[in-house]
Amino acid sequence: MNANLISRRKALSIGGLGMLGVTLPKLLQAKETAGRPGRAKSVIFLYQFGGPSHLDTFDPKPDAPDGVRSHFGVIDTSARGIRICDQLPKMASVMNEVTLVRTVYHTMKNHNSAAYYALTGHAPPLDDIRLRDTLDLFPAYGSVVDQLSPVSNGMPTFVAYPHVLRDGEITPGQHASFLGKAHDPLLVTSDPNDAGFSLPELSLPSGVTTDRLQNRREIQQLINRQTRINEYSATARGLDAYYDKTLSMLNSSRVREAFNLSAEPASIRDRYGRTTYGQSCLLARRLVESGVKFVNVYFSNNIGGRTTSGGWDTHGFDNTRMYPILRDYQLPVTDQTLPTLILDLKERGLLDETLIVWMGEFGRTPKINDNISRDHWPQCYTVLLAGGGAPRGFVYGTSDKNAAYPDKDPVVLDDLTATVFSLLGIDPHTEVRDKLNRPLPVSAGKIITGLMA
Amino acid sequence: MGLVFAVCALATWCDAAEISFRNDVMPVLSKSGCNLGTCHGNARGKGGFQISLRGQDPAGDYVVLTRDWLGRRTNPSRPDESLLLLKPTMQVAHEGGRRFEIGSSEYQILRDWIAAGTPEDSKTSPLLKSLVVTPRELFLEPDPASQWKSQLTVAATFSDGSRRDVTERVVYELSRPIAEVSPNGLVNGLQSGETTVLVRFQHLQVPVRLAFLEPRSNFQWTVPEPANVIDQQVHAKLKRLRMLPSPVCDDATFVRRIHLDLLGILPTAAEARTFVADRSLDKRARLIDELLQRPEFADWWALKWADLLRIEEKTLDRKGVENFHGWLRDAFATNKPLDTLVQEIIAARGSTYEVPPANFYRALRTSFERSEAVGQLFLGARLQCAKCHNHPFDRWTQDDYYSWASVFAAVDYKILENNRRDTNDQHEFDGEQIVVHGVTNAVKDPRSGKPRPPGFLGDKQNRGAQDEILQSLSTWMTSNDRFVEVLANRTWQQVIGRGIVDPVDDFRATNPPSNPELLAELVQYLRGTGSPATHGQRGLPGNPRPAFSLRHLLRLILNSQTYQATSEPNDTNREDEANFSHTQVRRHSAEQLLDTISQVLDVPLKFSGYPTGPRAAQLPGVRVLRRREGSPTKADLFLTAFGKPPRLQSCDCERSDETTLTQTFQMVSGELVNQMLAEPGNRIGSLANSERTTEDVVQELYWTILTRSPTEDELNQTSRYITERSSRRKALEDVTWGLLNSHEFLLRR
Repeated sequence: MNANLISRRKALSIGGLGMLGVTLPKLLQAKETAGRPGRAKSVIFLYQFGGPSHLDTFDPKPDAPDGVRSHFGVIDTSARGIRICDQLPKMASVMNEVTLVRTVYHTMKNHNSAAYYALTGHAPPLDDIRLRDTLDLFPAYGSVVDQLSPVSNGMPTFVAYPHVLRDGEITPGQHASFLGKAHDPLLVTSDPNDAGFSLPELSLPSGVTTDRLQNRREIQQLINRQTRINEYSATARGLDAYYDKTLSMLNSSRVREAFNLSAEPASIRDRYGRTTYGQSCLLARRLVESGVKFVNVYFSNNIGGRTTSGGWDTHGFDNTRMYPILRDYQLPVTDQTLPTLILDLKERGLLDETLIVWMGEFGRTPKINDNISRDHWPQCYTVLLAGGGAPRGFVYGTSDKNAAYPDKDPVVLDDLTATVFSLLGIDPHTEVRDKLNRPLPVSAGKIITGLMA
Repeated sequence: MGLVFAVCALATWCDAAEISFRNDVMPVLSKSGCNLGTCHGNARGKGGFQISLRGQDPAGDYVVLTRDWLGRRTNPSRPDESLLLLKPTMQVAHEGGRRFEIGSSEYQILRDWIAAGTPEDSKTSPLLKSLVVTPRELFLEPDPASQWKSQLTVAATFSDGSRRDVTERVVYELSRPIAEVSPNGLVNGLQSGETTVLVRFQHLQVPVRLAFLEPRSNFQWTVPEPANVIDQQVHAKLKRLRMLPSPVCDDATFVRRIHLDLLGILPTAAEARTFVADRSLDKRARLIDELLQRPEFADWWALKWADLLRIEEKTLDRKGVENFHGWLRDAFATNKPLDTLVQEIIAARGSTYEVPPANFYRALRTSFERSEAVGQLFLGARLQCAKCHNHPFDRWTQDDYYSWASVFAAVDYKILENNRRDTNDQHEFDGEQIVVHGVTNAVKDPRSGKPRPPGFLGDKQNRGAQDEILQSLSTWMTSNDRFVEVLANRTWQQVIGRGIVDPVDDFRATNPPSNPELLAELVQYLRGTGSPATHGQRGLPGNPRPAFSLRHLLRLILNSQTYQATSEPNDTNREDEANFSHTQVRRHSAEQLLDTISQVLDVPLKFSGYPTGPRAAQLPGVRVLRRREGSPTKADLFLTAFGKPPRLQSCDCERSDETTLTQTFQMVSGELVNQMLAEPGNRIGSLANSERTTEDVVQELYWTILTRSPTEDELNQTSRYITERSSRRKALEDVTWGLLNSHEFLLRR
């Protein structure tokens, strides 16, 4: 029988409540139509692989003892009462637009397990340094959004770039997993900071002109007209729809234009910073402007931490030192790009409807180690939110005196996820089905109403 | 403390009471939906109130209802003020809404029980023994108002011999929401089609199969004589549903389909033309027999099984992958009986370099992985749910789960060497290992913290001696009816595209076969019983038919009209997906597409870690080289994009047959396909340089790529296109591109 006869919403609500007669689904529908919080139309998820030190960024403890206190100082910010690391002066000037959640915690100490948790909002089955990327793990946030609330203007719902995260193995949580490949992100691994940056899929192969592609397309359609398969097969029609979309992306300007960074004035490109991350954040703004709902920007492809490239994993291994690396690399890059993105969105009137989430997989040890650096610390760390219905100039949760544990209002990662979904207008308790057809909520957490302005 | 004493004191009194917690109160909670996974049956409860999922733990729920919250939930002195009554009637705000009315029978049952002092069931109170639903199966005619209506009745029998009509007390759930079932068991079909009602009361579930028929007053059963028993059973069901099967497909479609299904490649233009031109009546049966003997058949079946047996390099290492895959390939090349094949896998022990099937256990490192894999692959039981709670739709309990897992605790490894390159990666093994049996470290049941004695699934009394338990298991399992059903059903699915039980690894009462008689025929045939004469088969070499012969079972299926039906539906069977009235259209697999593109262009493939040459279907594993040793080739990336699985799970579901944008980009603008098209020495090159006429070249391309002649329209238009271009070669590339991107090439039909 034709499954299309049951609308997605109806199937969803029926499946979601265990198919119990008629009363419960009606109830759920009523709840849906009553409307849910959610001002964010898009999310820009700035993922900081390796784990930034919260004590040396957004939760400094100037009164902590030697051995805990940051080597950097603190500065006042545009938000009364909020102080951050003095290496982030531009960031300080936009703190009145930002919420800091200073009490996020979980228990995963390995990068891949913790990163999977951060990228999906679901605790991994085990804390494994090489957690395997299997189809029983949860999909990336953007894939969930693509399943439940896709974009309909021809743009992709979920775009991820400019890296694939790996720590020894591919880090799980970057694709659609059990939701199916159709919900995978549009993944771009070319560098937005390259002069000729464009979407590789949108370039025609050598020797194939637009005219020639059109000829080929006409021959294909001539052949397809010979059978009636399109009349009776939804699979054939689905395939056709993908060809239409592919050809229209190759021919039309909309997607190409969204990825065309050279359309930006040089001054804007300079403001964001002529770095991979800077131009990636600029691209994120162009994408949300064109309707993309979820953008994952990865700061780096690896955990890094030993040189002034890569991620935030500054242990001080191999006689390296965290402070000079942070000072020369991660913090200046962050301070150039993140406030620029926030202000640019604001100037364009997009900040209200765009939620920026800036986070890593964990924070770093309050106690400075023998290498004058810091190790992994998931017990308490800071996540930054901006726009999209989050409060402005606000701190949620208080860490203890050494930023070691939450003191007030602890936020388990699942609750943060539930809140992000809710800000996007998605009920976090909506169920999706895994490959074994088990009903699973898109988030097991509770919405934090304090994070909704 | 006072409350606890009160409950105990009342327990004697409650013997005489009419309300039983288990038999009356629990069913109200289930019927009202309180204990569903989305409500208070959730692992985290809801609103601070958590009861067991679907009422699987009445004893625990009793405690929760009577002893938590200082008696606010159930208040015997003021029953109407119990939250258990205030919440579901919305006298107090309730996120779950109104579940029943004040004064309803649900309300009254709960109230009476609370007022009686929330009595616990005594040891002698009757237990539910059986549930009888009438009817169990219905083919329903629409009434004059075009609705399908029928009343179900449900009778429960208890251990004291008493019988009760529980029609209004049970829960009704639908597998497909094309009907409504009222709380008192009245079925109201909303559209034609089939669905299953699951009738649930306490721990028992009974499925009722419903078919809502189209009236089709002028329906006439005009169908050719069945080719064999498969058609007999398929037709019997279709006739009841008033559906006509689609006719058998033409020769060109058949020769293409059978090659792709049995070998994963296409017939050559010459093979296809010869077959179509052949006038003999038995040519299809002969072709089936020929293809079953081809070496590519063994490659193709080894690929299917290698996916399920998790043959991948990281855990098995390259040598292990090649050994295990080679062993499988040999098994299919020699038609090793399937029960022997599985026995050798289950009982395997010894060096993973010397005993290839021992790699099955090498890939599954924990007792849980091993027990879940064997349950799912060979017994069609998805046990994962039962690890944390009794399976909500199956008979498996947590006891069953941990007993079964303990069977596989007998496996251990002697790691002779491990030259893994990533010392952080506990999943990587490179070097010889010995799989040993007989270790005595039974799995701990997390609920008791005690080791759980081993027991076979659904047959807990049965356990061999510890050091021989997997030997005993291998014979127990392959003589198990369910095993044979699973094997027969999986083989059916491998050529038909959909299981009679579907998904193929999810056998349970609540997911019944769409055609039980058909499945029974396949089972009988696979066992080698049943008389060959009744099967309408040609005399085959090697009769009498051996048991568990894959080739014989395939031969039966492939010679049926059911397998050979067209994909085009008729007016009666358009909506059918589960009854095999016509062939379902699906996208070809990653390997089929890449290998056939390579075949028709005559350009060999290059995979990372291999010399140029092998077909994708011949690759034994997933990824030979580590990332640092070499990047995946474009051919490797093509396979991933089209859904070749990484083989990290023991599930058919890991292979994807979805269509995605990445795939169409691969076909339209992807480098691989375009490079292969432009390759100077490919088939296009030799055709372009040949003396053959344009029409002849077009004919050759059509037969090579689509296994048919071009239509007149196609021949005219493509010939004109070719002659009008300045470059014959480039024009042929464009035509070939069109053919490779057509529905006929990409889809099985």
